[in-house]
Amino acid sequence: MLLRATFVLSTILGLSGCATPQTLPDTANIQPGERPDITTDEAGLWMASEDVERRLAASGRVLTDPEINAYVKEIICRLSPEYCADVRVYIVRTPHFNASMYPSGFMQVWTGLILRAENEAQLAYVLGHELGHYFRRHSIQQWRTVRDTASAMTFFSIATAMAGVGYVGDIGALVAMGALMSYSREFEREADDVGFEMMSKAGYSPDEAPKIWQALLQERDASGDPNQLIFFATHPSTEERIDTLKGLATAVPASARGVDVGAERHAKITHPYLSEWLRDDLRNRKLAGSEIMLKRLIENRGERPELQYFLGELYRIRGDEGDAQHAVEAYTTALGQKGAPAEAYRSLGLVHWREGHTAEARAAFEAYLRAAPKASDYAMVKSYLDQL
Amino acid sequence: MNPDQKSLPSSSFLVERSRFLVALVFFGLVIILSGCAQTQALKAKSAMTERINPAVVLLIEPDVQLSVVTASGLQEPNAEWTEIGRRNVAQALEALLKEKNASLIAYRAPQNDLDRAHRHNQIMKMHGAVGVSILNHKYNEMLALPTKVDRFDWTLGPDTQMLRDEFGADYALFVFMRDSYASAGRVAVIAVAALLGVGMQGGMQLGFASLVDLQTGEVVWFNRLISGAGDLRTPEPARQAIDSLLTDAPL
Repeated sequence: MLLRATFVLSTILGLSGCATPQTLPDTANIQPGERPDITTDEAGLWMASEDVERRLAASGRVLTDPEINAYVKEIICRLSPEYCADVRVYIVRTPHFNASMYPSGFMQVWTGLILRAENEAQLAYVLGHELGHYFRRHSIQQWRTVRDTASAMTFFSIATAMAGVGYVGDIGALVAMGALMSYSREFEREADDVGFEMMSKAGYSPDEAPKIWQALLQERDASGDPNQLIFFATHPSTEERIDTLKGLATAVPASARGVDVGAERHAKITHPYLSEWLRDDLRNRKLAGSEIMLKRLIENRGERPELQYFLGELYRIRGDEGDAQHAVEAYTTALGQKGAPAEAYRSLGLVHWREGHTAEARAAFEAYLRAAPKASDYAMVKSYLDQL
Repeated sequence: MNPDQKSLPSSSFLVERSRFLVALVFFGLVIILSGCAQTQALKAKSAMTERINPAVVLLIEPDVQLSVVTASGLQEPNAEWTEIGRRNVAQALEALLKEKNASLIAYRAPQNDLDRAHRHNQIMKMHGAVGVSILNHKYNEMLALPTKVDRFDWTLGPDTQMLRDEFGADYALFVFMRDSYASAGRVAVIAVAALLGVGMQGGMQLGFASLVDLQTGEVVWFNRLISGAGDLRTPEPARQAIDSLLTDAPL
């Protein structure tokens, strides 16, 4: 439905635009504490948005731990003290790279994004981008454009006596999916500018802004599928964004150049979640991208045992030529360190078993049973020993 | 929008989609409505034999939204009308249940207990899924399920006992209402299209209600309302809509 309207919209803009750059309507920023008048279309959009928020809050997928919530909220307040009280953040356990802003002032940040941000400055840039959508009122502008364009199309089709069934639609779809995906590229560019300015002014190192796109680009290229990451659908080309942001970063005068990167704080806050988020990520079976992401994590955070374990899992699941050997190496590295998960023994046993290395498999399974005597799959792994 | 959307695992979006589906089901049924309200109630066997009176009814917050139909037929929610409509629906429900000698408890989501709030929410979502299935498969003959043709036996499962215990209620009543009104632009489009011999829909009223036995989770009674007239913005027509939706509820 919205898809159809959006298609109509883009066709029309495409026809009229030619070489002229599209300009955004001159809309006033939303003011701190502002609520739209109840008689307006914007109030209707807020109402629909608040319904989405209520359901999201009770969805069971929102992280409730105060520390990580405080971390994200603090960044938002540092970026924009004046809107701090108006913005509500929901960290949602979803293994994809995305964040989205809703018209009534709540924001979703997905764990797949926090996992991929290398440091606080990169996360700050994305949060600033989302705040830009909010106080530039992009949702209502988008809705009005769709609505008015669809109306114009209807009048046009009536006038030419080709009246059809009309476009049946629902603003709920705009709020739910549109808020996530279909902000137009112009809105994205504007939000990019706002996000950059905010993070830079807040004292974060401006050079970090393009880096998060570079990392994402690497994952996309590794996957060989440009549509693999849902994020790319409605956003400007990543190459363009990187160039623009690098240009902006270079232009920041030395006197105003922030140096705060916050890599250590980011690592510390996210550390308790790493295993859960990596397990979620591997379940996506977008392994080429996960490999890039995992290797970057290892580069940034050192050879932590859980990172090595999941790298091993990735190779074991993929099972390409040479992956068995890579997996064994990764598990062995993990198990050589303090705090390695017992599951590394089990996985090591499975790889050896598949490779026909019976003695090594037996040793690994036995080590697993010793390390995890209360595991729920104890009896199962024990039965492997009988089958070997 | 992206064809890869199906890879989105977020449950909130699934909820969105199921709500969207409700709208789709309705629109799929609608041709051009006459003024009168049409309802068609369905009852489980137990509703006829094991009626509790006086019953304690837990009223789940009615899902009400009032919209403008734009010239092209898009629905634009109107916050002011919705606020008034919600109030009118609540008052009409209260009056009707009083006449039926049922006592009403308003559902309140657990505060400061996320786990319980989540479990309640799962029941609400289950009701949404079951409700959409009933609308799809019992009200549309094209989609009738062979095993459900001559029976009405849908259930949310015994987890509903949680609500029974917490609120001391026998039944839960779910009410969903959508009401829309043609904008001036839509009226003009309809008028011109009529001259060209094309019929187009203006505003309409759509709703459904279901009564769930909290002991068993069984949907004991279900009704759907479609009307080309009606107006939830004013108390009297709102009362009429709720009456036609709920009048033969087995309470």
